[in-house]
Amino acid sequence: MALIRGRDRGTGAQIFTASMADIVFLLIVFFVLTYKVEVDKTQMNLPETWIRKKVPEKAAVISIAPPDKGSTIRVSTGEEMALPVSSIEEVITFASTEVAKNPNREFILKADKNSPYGAVDEVLDALKQSKVKFIFLLSEQLTADEK
Amino acid sequence: MNIKKKEIASEIFTGSMADISFLLIIYFMITSAFSATRGLDFALPEETDTPEIKQEDSIEVHVMPGGAIEVDKKALPIDGLLPYVLEKLQQNPEKPVILRTDPEATYGDMISVFDRLRRANEEWTDEDGTPLYKDSKGEPLTEIKTISIPTQREIENIWNLLGMG
Repeated sequence: MALIRGRDRGTGAQIFTASMADIVFLLIVFFVLTYKVEVDKTQMNLPETWIRKKVPEKAAVISIAPPDKGSTIRVSTGEEMALPVSSIEEVITFASTEVAKNPNREFILKADKNSPYGAVDEVLDALKQSKVKFIFLLSEQLTADEK
Repeated sequence: MNIKKKEIASEIFTGSMADISFLLIIYFMITSAFSATRGLDFALPEETDTPEIKQEDSIEVHVMPGGAIEVDKKALPIDGLLPYVLEKLQQNPEKPVILRTDPEATYGDMISVFDRLRRANEEWTDEDGTPLYKDSKGEPLTEIKTISIPTQREIENIWNLLGMG
C-alpha cells in the first residue's frame, strides 16, 4: 500500500510550453519579412562564383533547364510563374516587349552549370538582339576552399 | 428576492492558435526562396557606343571544352590568367578582355573564368582598397575596364566582315 501511495505523489514530467507562442510568432514574422515566391522552380545546379551581387527584385527571369530535363527555356516577368517557350524567337519577343516597357529592365539568367554553353549563348544572343542592358547570371556562393 | 446574475467570463479561445501558427510557418517555409537571389552581373554595351575592337588590341580568352583556357592562343592554367592580364594592362590599361567560349564547353566552365576575371578588383587592391599596381603611366590599376562576351552569331558576323567566313 505504502508503495502505491508514494507513486501517486510523484510529479508528472512536463515540457514548458509558455514560450512556444513567442517562438512561433518570431518565426512567422521572419518568414513574412523574407517571403519571396520563386517564379521558376526548375531544380538545377547553379554555377558557383566568388563575386555575387544581389539580383534586383521583380527582374524578368529566363531559365534554361539542364540537358537531362530537356533544356527547356522558361520565361517570367518576375511576377508570375515561369512559362515554357518553344523557340528562341519567343525569347526575343518576350525580351523586346519587356524592354519596350522599360529600357533599363534587368534580366536574370538561371542556367545549370552542366548545360552546354551553346544553349546559353543562344539566349544571351536573343537578349542582345532585344537590346537588353543588364543581365544577372544566377549563381551559388563559391566557398573559400574552392576559390 | 435578489437573483444573482451568473457572470460569464469573456475569453478568447486560444487552443487552436498553435495549429494555425504552425500551419503558417510551414506554408512560408515551403513557398519562400532563400538561395538564388545573387549572381554575377554584367552590362551589355549599347550598339551605338561600341568601339570597334581590333583583335591585336585585346586579350582573347578562349574557354575550351573541359574548362581549360587559351589566352591569346596559348594554353594557360586558370591561376595564371589574372597575372597575364595584369601584365598586359600595365602596358595598356584600356585593353579589353574578350571572353569566347566553345559551344561544347559547359556554362559552368565559362562562369568560372568570368568570375576569375571579375575578381581582378579584389586581387589588385589591398584590404583598404588601396591599389597595389600601377600602369606604365603611373595611374593606379584596379580593375579590368572592359570584359566583352561576344555571342557565336557576333563572332561569325565579324568573320564574315573580314572575309574569313
